[in-house]
Amino acid sequence: MSDAVIVVVLLLVAACATAAVVQRDPARQALVLSVLGVLLAALFTVLQAPDVGLSQLAVGSALTPLLIMLCVRKIRRRGRPKEDAR
Amino acid sequence: MNRLRLWLLAVGGAGLAALLVAACLDLPGFGGRRHPYGDRAVQASLARHTANTISSVNFDQRAYDTLGEMSILFAAVLGCVVLLRQARDEHRDRPEPAEVARPVRRYALLVLPVALVTGLYVVAHGQLSPGGGFQGGVVAATALHLLYLGADYGALERVRPLGVYETSDAVAVCAYLVLGLASVLAGTAFLANTLLPYGTFNTLSSGGTVPLLNAAIGMEVASAVVVLLAHFLDQAVEIEEEQGS
Amino acid sequence: MNGWILAATVALGGGGAAVLWGVTTGPPARRVIAQNLATSAVCPALLLLSQGYGRPAYVDLALLLALLGPVGTLVFARLLCDDLSEEGASAWALTWTAAGLGAAAVVALCVAVGPGRAMVKLLVVGALLISGNVIASRALAGGFRGVRGG
Repeated sequence: MSDAVIVVVLLLVAACATAAVVQRDPARQALVLSVLGVLLAALFTVLQAPDVGLSQLAVGSALTPLLIMLCVRKIRRRGRPKEDAR
Repeated sequence: MNRLRLWLLAVGGAGLAALLVAACLDLPGFGGRRHPYGDRAVQASLARHTANTISSVNFDQRAYDTLGEMSILFAAVLGCVVLLRQARDEHRDRPEPAEVARPVRRYALLVLPVALVTGLYVVAHGQLSPGGGFQGGVVAATALHLLYLGADYGALERVRPLGVYETSDAVAVCAYLVLGLASVLAGTAFLANTLLPYGTFNTLSSGGTVPLLNAAIGMEVASAVVVLLAHFLDQAVEIEEEQGS
Repeated sequence: MNGWILAATVALGGGGAAVLWGVTTGPPARRVIAQNLATSAVCPALLLLSQGYGRPAYVDLALLLALLGPVGTLVFARLLCDDLSEEGASAWALTWTAAGLGAAAVVALCVAVGPGRAMVKLLVVGALLISGNVIASRALAGGFRGVRGG
């Protein structure tokens, strides 16, 4: 019975990871990825690995989205003509 | 040709699946309370007055592994710096000032010092509670970028002399190595935790060299993340390709 | 399994499923709101888990999430502002419901731990969580309208 929380979080992580792969647009993928990071941190917590959970939170909640979204922005800007980017 | 490729994939996949199944059958039971390695690691960390066994494993019993991980991060950031440098056919534009709604700007400026202090807290308590140099360093470096989110890139550039962060990155890596060599000079092995007294269990100054190594890693990670994000931000915000190229 | 862990399971299961559904379907505005709500669903659950396992050190996880979760939402609000400005992404009813959930969890835990340093830490986490949540919603509802190019 006490494993119920582990099962719930494991199912959520599996569903979220699948959803992140299925998305096609990188910006939307980044959104799902940041939710996946938070869920993974919860999974590590219920598996009694708070150190790993902290690492996941530190990297996954703000740093990874920022890196991905900066890349998306650069690529989108390059696709547009220069006057339009202003 | 296509069929051959599919066959190759199928054979490889089947082999991998067989190996994974064989490995899974030999795993210890899920969530067991006792583990031979765990018991020994906990014993060793208690003997060295380190309350957080994970920190004891990372910075004492397996400090050499952490040295390798640190060099990976260092090399990765170095690679990014080389790849993302300003090329000959690119030029820099001044970043445009941005108008951010007032509550958001106030929130960013208020949370920035809180996040910095939290980062330092996580680094300093690495030997006591979950956390350590890596986690705290990332939090502190992220905190700095609230200036970009809450104001504009110009504001961030004013408080971020990039050369200082590049230097402190290298200095932190050297500090880790010097701490390791110091124990060699003291007559024991590289990175052995024998230099300092172990202190009182569960206080800030316990664990021998663990807090010092933690601090070195924290400094390294924080500067590395700042340098990495700086080059990404430069590319996304400032650097433009020349027209007609 | 005690009441705290049961409550955390319910918060994680219900909140997680709702967030997952919101973040994978619909227009960008809705997805960003769901991403913001992930913080306010999981952070109280982490607090409840720390109480349920009897390990006060786990509160650090909730502290970090309450600090960095809204920062992540601000990243999306700023760098996706072109996509968001057409439709505007405001969901104040949801935001205040989530804030109420967080406040309820923090108050229950404060009653459980009693006055002391642990309670101060819990209150800091609660304040960061609720203010971050509200500000991130504000940012999504047009806080970066004046941002272009930078």
